[in-house]
Amino acid sequence: MSKSDHTYNIMFVGVGGQGLMLLSAILGKAAVDSGFKVMTGEQHGLSQRQGSIYVHFRIGNPISPLIPYGTADMMIAMEASEALRYIEYLKEDGVIIMSNRIMPSVTETEQVALDKEKKAKYLTVEEIENQLREVTKNIVLLDSLQLAIQAGNARTENSVLVGATVACEDFPIPAEEVRKAVLALVPPKTVDANSKAFDLGRDEGSACLD
Amino acid sequence: MTVEDVKRTDSGPALMLANEAVVRGALEADVKVTAFYPGSPTSEILDTFGEVLEHFDDYKMHISANEKVALETVAGASMAGLRAFTSMKSVGMNVASDSMFSIGYTGLNAGCVCLIADDPYAHSSQSEQDGRYFGEAAYVPMIEPATAQEALDMTKWGFEVSEKHKTLVIIRTTTRVNHQRGMVELGKLDRTPFKKKKWQDVKDQYFTVGPVARALKAKLLEKTEAIKKDFEKTDFNMVVPGSGGVGILTAGVCFLHTKEAMQNLELDLPLFKLGTLFPLPEKKLAEFIKPLSTLIVVEELTPYLETRIAALAQTVNPDLNIVGKRSGHFSEMLEYNVPIVEKVIAEVTDKKMSIDYDAVLKRAEKLKEILPERPPIFCPGCPHRGTLWAFRQALQQLRIRNNIVFNNDIGCYSMAFLPPNEFSDSMLAMGASLGLSAGMEMALEDKVIAMVGDSTLYHAALPGIVNLIHHNSNVTLFVLDNSVTAMTGQQFNPNSPFDAGGVPARKINMEKMFEALGADKIVIIDPYETRDCIGTIKEAIEADGFSVIISRRECALYGDREKKKRGEKIIPSENIKDTCRGIYACVREFYCPAITIDESDAKMVIQRDLCDGCLECRQVCPVDAPRHVEVKK
Repeated sequence: MSKSDHTYNIMFVGVGGQGLMLLSAILGKAAVDSGFKVMTGEQHGLSQRQGSIYVHFRIGNPISPLIPYGTADMMIAMEASEALRYIEYLKEDGVIIMSNRIMPSVTETEQVALDKEKKAKYLTVEEIENQLREVTKNIVLLDSLQLAIQAGNARTENSVLVGATVACEDFPIPAEEVRKAVLALVPPKTVDANSKAFDLGRDEGSACLD
Repeated sequence: MTVEDVKRTDSGPALMLANEAVVRGALEADVKVTAFYPGSPTSEILDTFGEVLEHFDDYKMHISANEKVALETVAGASMAGLRAFTSMKSVGMNVASDSMFSIGYTGLNAGCVCLIADDPYAHSSQSEQDGRYFGEAAYVPMIEPATAQEALDMTKWGFEVSEKHKTLVIIRTTTRVNHQRGMVELGKLDRTPFKKKKWQDVKDQYFTVGPVARALKAKLLEKTEAIKKDFEKTDFNMVVPGSGGVGILTAGVCFLHTKEAMQNLELDLPLFKLGTLFPLPEKKLAEFIKPLSTLIVVEELTPYLETRIAALAQTVNPDLNIVGKRSGHFSEMLEYNVPIVEKVIAEVTDKKMSIDYDAVLKRAEKLKEILPERPPIFCPGCPHRGTLWAFRQALQQLRIRNNIVFNNDIGCYSMAFLPPNEFSDSMLAMGASLGLSAGMEMALEDKVIAMVGDSTLYHAALPGIVNLIHHNSNVTLFVLDNSVTAMTGQQFNPNSPFDAGGVPARKINMEKMFEALGADKIVIIDPYETRDCIGTIKEAIEADGFSVIISRRECALYGDREKKKRGEKIIPSENIKDTCRGIYACVREFYCPAITIDESDAKMVIQRDLCDGCLECRQVCPVDAPRHVEVKK
């Protein structure tokens, strides 16, 4: 991709409180430092936790702040069910980088708890993945919490996800710029763990996308 | 980060949220006084001004009690010769408009700009209000940016227009402009020290009634003509040349959707990008539409531009075919995007769409059938959850659930209309629960109960409260005192000991105020002591006259941040499974997102990383199963 023509679209999705805005800020910094133009359409507004949230993130020559349906090159999902919630934005065979974490909604918990025959179950990652596979085979499913713990800090899940982006062949931002942006924006004490988390994410991503 | 870019003194490129670019624009224009009441999608303007207040130390800032006070505050500063700025959400201008209409007549002195943000789709508002009519109705010039860059440039330009014509200038945005992050070319920042003026040096009369008003009106019409002449010349009203007899008129974020749609369709239709909504540059518009056979008008919400361009076409080009809302091509509802605009342009120009968007949406809809909803809910640790639970228990115990009317108000607690509470007989606008209660109390046999937060209390509820007490009304009022204006990002309000930027301020003494007003009964409850609240709530509801229940506990998000600052840890709770009997009161009646079910034994399990450790769920549990457990290292 040259810096002038194509626009690379990323849909960030997750649940309020997961740090989606920081993730968007990290890739924003990396893109700008690499000489790309960036435009985003962000969902702010009501500040309650645990709601469904998204950022339309566009690199290159974006015009509108919103990604048209079916044109996102990549989706980064910090919570698995949210990947499915915004699937209309992903292009055919686009890349999904997703955490295997599911945060059930309260209404789903109520259904599971109150089913007398105990047949109601939570939606599983496998069920979600099956649906996503109707749109793309390029899915990087990460045990982001486990990898974060392995990196030395359970709060580095975002860096695991960001690390996986650079494993993607047509990802326009150079890997080292992304790493630099991660380390510049995370709390100074956690730089080592975040760096490790980034590498673990990248390695997992490479293994999934060959 | 971007706040650092707001502080930069040099020019150059930056990646900025449009709301931050507005702040930068105002700072580049050397703004001296700012005042705001928070409201999505404008709250980041207030927050950013607050964050850099100490750094600059050369402008003054208030978080005002409401938008009307905020507008009057900046108007007062402008009259006194200092440049001033405010912003508010769409419905904020409804509150401020009383003074705004008079300001139109009296005019102002130093540059004074007010941003209002409409919210198509009502993402975080009570209606899809179209604020564009305010400019025309009040003879106040109104301009509309499309990008973060224009947000900066138009804010600066707004100060010039305002100062030149001695008028208020309104910048109108929509959510997708405010919450758009984009590349911005910063201008140089050249701030001057803050210095008070002497009234003797700057004074003029800002007074309008009867004969004075009539004289001012005549001058106002002349002023509007002069502004119109300027607007005919500004580059913010831009023609993008193209080919063919089909042209497009658009403004704001729709301009961006339209440009991208045309790129997708490989079209270069001539396009008029409007930057001034009032007064309209009618000569320039007339020139544009004269040679066209068809004009596509791309605008969200009401046909504001369409109606005006149709009137203009009557004389300039009566045969012009106008494609818009009246022709049935575009909706007056919701917000637009590239696919919506592309579809209409493709239809009119007989082109094939770049993607079959409908097919993409249809497939996605099918795939999502297995997906549970994620309705908005109170945060873990939210005090409202406990207050509303205790309120429900009290109504049940008094056996009056079906003999009350409950008037809700604007705030996080508006969510009482959702499960598991599912009650709220009304919710209209800030403070409206009190006025409605006055009418219902006269007209209904039932007990009338209203609810407001602390910020709403001081914003617009006070006149309604005074009115109820004065009229000896039998009403119970809940005041949810969580220390901050929670929903918009936990800003300070008159119930906080701080103002913007953490500057010390005087906290209004709520109970003393109610006492002085003559409330018949005032009780204070702690929603974390949830069970104990029930009895107190019952007493207050049963009391004669005007009773007030103050439910006092700080917003969990705000409280957690303060705890973190003090170095305190949040101790999550755990459900003791040996005690838990699977009654699920915590699930059915409480809806805390940290509460889930372990499918292996069907017992409740608390997600430790989500739990706030409030233990309200223990209060709800009939067998006290949840408790704090210290984790052994």
